[in-house]
Amino acid sequence: MKKKLLILLVVTFALTLVVPTAFAEQYKTVYLTLFYGDGCPHCHKEILFLEKLEKELPNVNVKTFEIYNHPDNAKLMQEVGKKLNQRISGVPFLVIGDETLVGYLNDETTGEKIKQIIKKHSNGGCYDIVGQIMGLEVNGESTECEDKKEIENIELPIFGEINIKNWSLPILTILIAAVDGFNPCAMWVLLFLISLLIGIEDKKKMWTLGSAFIVTSALVYFLFLSAWLNLFLFLGFISIIRIIVGLVAIGSGGYHIKEWWFNRNATCRVTNGERRQKIMNSLRRVTEQRVFWLALLGIIGVAFAVNLIELVCSAGLPAIYTQILSLSDLSPVVYYLYLFLYILIFMLDDLAIFFIAMTTLQATGISTKYTHWANFIGGIIILVLGILLIFKPGWIMFG
Amino acid sequence: MKVLKFGAVWCPGCIIMKPRWEKIEEELTWLETEYFDYDQDKDKVEAYNVGKDIPVFIFLDKNGNEFDRMKGEIDKKDLIKFLRKNKDK
Repeated sequence: MKKKLLILLVVTFALTLVVPTAFAEQYKTVYLTLFYGDGCPHCHKEILFLEKLEKELPNVNVKTFEIYNHPDNAKLMQEVGKKLNQRISGVPFLVIGDETLVGYLNDETTGEKIKQIIKKHSNGGCYDIVGQIMGLEVNGESTECEDKKEIENIELPIFGEINIKNWSLPILTILIAAVDGFNPCAMWVLLFLISLLIGIEDKKKMWTLGSAFIVTSALVYFLFLSAWLNLFLFLGFISIIRIIVGLVAIGSGGYHIKEWWFNRNATCRVTNGERRQKIMNSLRRVTEQRVFWLALLGIIGVAFAVNLIELVCSAGLPAIYTQILSLSDLSPVVYYLYLFLYILIFMLDDLAIFFIAMTTLQATGISTKYTHWANFIGGIIILVLGILLIFKPGWIMFG
Repeated sequence: MKVLKFGAVWCPGCIIMKPRWEKIEEELTWLETEYFDYDQDKDKVEAYNVGKDIPVFIFLDKNGNEFDRMKGEIDKKDLIKFLRKNKDK
């Protein structure tokens, strides 16, 4: 019995030696350098996360440098930024190989992203840039982050080499905005207005009123998206909010899939008769107004009110999109450019319908069969995004 | 046979079906059809129990009794096939 116990102990001891060695051989060392400030709460959270990570992953090497009370460390951080062509806006500032992360939301978002970068560099290896600046010797490791190019770039027949990371957010923006834009619930007002405008003899009035309606609708939606984005940028680090939006996304995805499944005939659903009549009467009054400026002001007012009421049609898509957008670390200008892209795609079908109708003087519509399939594809995308928002938010952090 | 068409100016599916029906009516000269607007012809909408999903197409026989109805965007070929089959009803 004693002999068996001894053998077991020896084997266990041997394994404790062999497993990390095998792990270290399998995975290359990944150097993490964290620049932090004393008293900074986000830095503290990141330090705790990295300590935990260093225990979990034997190939991870973490160095920390406090910069508020140590000018040399602050200087080192600036040198690192210079070397990597990065403008450092604050701490915590983490360097992994040649990649950097500023700020720390929580373990589920930034923490997950850190894990992903480590995983990527564990296979290909990456040099310790901070160690190099400090004159430390780094033996046996590759000097270039070669794997990065393989993972992030794909070759496409027409477009050539495409960087996945750079294109993920624009593609996602286009997809969600297209699903949102195909929503027939929000399009009925424009179609009704077009039916009224076609009958107007004054072409200038016809074009101006229609354009004013579309521009005001776009503006209301832009303001709505901006409000959501700023809310999430302000409160987005609170996990419960992200989880709530994730649940909304799952519900919204489910609703779109349900619509696809049950509305196979691609019919238009008639909703809220009284409200519809009120909106239709307002539009009639405005288009019949003989004083041009009053008609213009009237259409802007109606567009504003109608779009506020019809925002409910979007089934949470703006909230879901802006929550995802807020997870990406982008500059304010880039955030608003993404919102602009969203609006452009969202309004694209409206613009096409309006211009075709105004040019041909015949009402035209996008087949509800396209809406039917947009419900299916969009539903699946939104459902997956909802699951990722809850369980793997790091996967949808693009910036 | 007579076809009652129910639609609205703000409904994309109805707008898609309008020229499709015009072509069918050109092709099948014997076909009698009548269009009702969902918002303006409320009495007919109620009388024929059109419901909340449009466009709706109701097929009446010689005696004015409904023998079939369809809704949504329907393929022109399928409609012609159906109309020809039920021409004498």
